[in-house]
Amino acid sequence: MEFALEIILNLVGFGVGLLIGIFAHIGFKNTGSPTLFRLTIAFLSISIGFGVVGLGYMSDSFFIHSGKIETEIQTLGIGIQTVGYFFIAFSHGIKSFFPKSRYLKSIVVPLFIIPGNSIEHIIRSISFILLVYGTIETIMSYMENRKTSTIFVASGLGLLALGEFLGWYSVVFPKSVLYVISISTKIVGLGALFVPISKVPLRGMKFGGNI
Amino acid sequence: MAATYRTHMSIIGDILTTTRDEVPDETGASVTYLIRKANISYGRISKILETLVQQGLLEQTSSYRACKYKISSRGREFLQAYRGFREFAETFGLRI
Repeated sequence: MEFALEIILNLVGFGVGLLIGIFAHIGFKNTGSPTLFRLTIAFLSISIGFGVVGLGYMSDSFFIHSGKIETEIQTLGIGIQTVGYFFIAFSHGIKSFFPKSRYLKSIVVPLFIIPGNSIEHIIRSISFILLVYGTIETIMSYMENRKTSTIFVASGLGLLALGEFLGWYSVVFPKSVLYVISISTKIVGLGALFVPISKVPLRGMKFGGNI
Repeated sequence: MAATYRTHMSIIGDILTTTRDEVPDETGASVTYLIRKANISYGRISKILETLVQQGLLEQTSSYRACKYKISSRGREFLQAYRGFREFAETFGLRI
């Protein structure tokens, strides 16, 4: 039951990410904007990442029946999602990857060291940092433009970060409900990112060459 | 007030908005008028106007003394779409 829920949640993540990615791609095709290109790569990567995990689990449970590829699929999917989170952070222009303050370093560095025995958890910690960066930058933008939709995006990125953190923390309680909570949090996060996009009028957006 | 960097797309958006909302007469806006409104150099605006005319977003009309520019129906549609995409990017705190 829990396994089926994980598959469904991952496929929902795939769908939502794909919709946002397609929207960004239409924008890029029509305007040639590098920002929209980066957002296209970001959301298509996030979507593919969710898709790899969902379809991987599905094929394992229905066709392969090995029960051993779970970790590999998980690592691959999360790795692809991390590329997406990187491009969201990169769109804001990463000024410096690590904070200069040694007090902050003492918080950030353990995120890389503690899960040193697992590639999956290293990737999760990188995703977490990138998402926290994206959240902070988006909150800063909200301070400037005061748009409600920006709050949705900041919340979405924040929930994705929380989801990654919970997924990373599930190393302490493997096979627990924590992983399902992590995926659910990430789906709610993606949903929050989708809210402002759903309000953008989609009519009249069919153009050929970019300018 | 601190100067804000404008992207190529936002300059195009400004030009199209000017030709749609702020044309001084029915024949369209002159290059000088657009330079003043969009606040860019002659060299740069000439290239942009050429591209916009080629793409069918602006219509070039010849008047007694100089070329004038009017927004086309395709340009109006593009401007509407551009605003949608700009809104999309702005929700992420980004600019297109």
